[in-house]
Amino acid sequence: MSLPQDFFGRIIFIIQNYGESLLKGAGTTLLIALVGTIIGCLIGFVVGIIQTIPVRKKDNLAKRIILKVLKLIMNIYVEVFRGTPMMVQAMFIYYGSAVLFEINMDMWFAAYFIVSINTGAYMAETVRGGILSVSDGQTEGAKAIGMNHFQTMLYVILPQAIRNIMPQIGNNLIINIKDTCVLSVIGTVELFFATKSVAGTYYTFFEAYTITMVMYLCMTVFFSKLLRVFESKLNGPEDYSLATTDTLAYTSGLLKYPSKKGVD
Amino acid sequence: MKENIITINHLMKKFGDNEVLKDINFSVRKGDITSIIGASGSGKSTLLRCVNLLENPTGGEIFYKGENILSKKDESGYRTKVGMVFQNFNLFENMNVLKNCTIGQEKVLKVSKEEAENKAKFYLEKVGMLPYINAKPKQLSGGQKQRVAIVRALAMEPEVLLFDEPTSALDPQMVGEVLSVIKALAEEGFTMIIVTHEMQFAKDISNHVVFMHKGIILEEGTSDEIFVSPKCNETKEFLSRFISC
Ligand SMILES: Nc1ncnc2c1ncn2[C@@H]1O[C@H](COP(=O)(O)OP(=O)(O)O)[C@@H](O)[C@H]1O
Ligand SMILES: [Mg+2]
Repeated sequence: MSLPQDFFGRIIFIIQNYGESLLKGAGTTLLIALVGTIIGCLIGFVVGIIQTIPVRKKDNLAKRIILKVLKLIMNIYVEVFRGTPMMVQAMFIYYGSAVLFEINMDMWFAAYFIVSINTGAYMAETVRGGILSVSDGQTEGAKAIGMNHFQTMLYVILPQAIRNIMPQIGNNLIINIKDTCVLSVIGTVELFFATKSVAGTYYTFFEAYTITMVMYLCMTVFFSKLLRVFESKLNGPEDYSLATTDTLAYTSGLLKYPSKKGVD
Repeated sequence: MKENIITINHLMKKFGDNEVLKDINFSVRKGDITSIIGASGSGKSTLLRCVNLLENPTGGEIFYKGENILSKKDESGYRTKVGMVFQNFNLFENMNVLKNCTIGQEKVLKVSKEEAENKAKFYLEKVGMLPYINAKPKQLSGGQKQRVAIVRALAMEPEVLLFDEPTSALDPQMVGEVLSVIKALAEEGFTMIIVTHEMQFAKDISNHVVFMHKGIILEEGTSDEIFVSPKCNETKEFLSRFISC
């Protein structure tokens, strides 16, 4: 096969001959980014929620100790994985575990694991912030009608926290789409890895990476737009319709609700 | 003589070194309408929040129908019996008006959805908010929000309602609509404790008035005893500020 001389010719050449392997790489990138973000979010929610459980003097000693220990472990987790580069974590976990524990971790497992655990550390902080951003009044309103901590979280705080952190969840997905390229150090054939081999074969760095840049950009722009749509869905309608036109208030007989069975 | 529904003995609350409530004693009988008045910072909100266990008292006892609620485990069950209406409404921002009024019934009282909605609609109609069941709190005016908040509390069928300055966050033209709802409840003999700066309103509807001053109850009595012939100089001075303006 002879390589065309001009830029566009080379681009077409690469697409024709290596398009499939680049697409497969992109698919892998997306899959790892999506799965990693989802699992990471779940980890983040669990950690973030546990970190915001209030410890009260009234609680019994065992509960307080367990919570303290759990919170400590989770703090360490967050600090370690937020405070070190994902590329180093990848090497440490994949090769390190092989040397230290003689575990031959499956490369795919390692890839998903690393992205998830890394995202989880970031999301934990995001979720914690999201929970704290919901005003105390919401918690008090819930408690005042008898909701316990769990119900307050589930029905009142988390739905609002999730809405508030949607932009950051989106951000994390975008970052993950880009940052899965560091997994090439453990041999994961994602988009960047695939591009490297294509570019190296014919020394078409400029052309191959042009294609790859465009592919990354398409993926990130697509998902950032999709998340916007999702966000506005979460916001609900801008206005509301009046259920009836009768606005007369009958403030007498307020307490005469006939118990059992409806009043229509 | 009616039974005491809430009895407070030697209640104390400190925030750090700040002694906000010092030896509070009073009781509320079934059907009483108790107004708590006093200057800002005198501890009225803290007292009300202690009664609803939103604050943990540092000392003393609170009895509800003869049972010491501070030693009880079941905060949740107690709170369904003693509802609270807040100055800033605290409606759930993520739910529409109807859901705000049914969620507690469904999740805490385990009432069926249909029954909960019927009850919520019944009360919402009474306060003139039935047309707005699909609106979110942020789409309502302050007065409308407070009327919904009252329904949210009522729908739990509490025995006592606590109001913490229910009209203080409202524009003047909306105060009336909320006060008229509270008045209607009063006329039906609902037991209530109301912290308010609406002196005329307190005078008209209460049969029991408590004047708080720097963390203690300085004076208490019937509406006339406090508003017409107060004994303490602090009470007179406090009330004169309202009459003068
Ligand atoms: N959560 C809190 N932490 C510390 N101090 C508080 C807290 N809540 C209230 N206080 C203090 O308690 C005092 C009484 O407040 P509050 O009960 O709100 O008075 P009122 O409702 O009569 O205006 C004030 O000095 C206030 O600063
Ligand atoms: Mg107050």
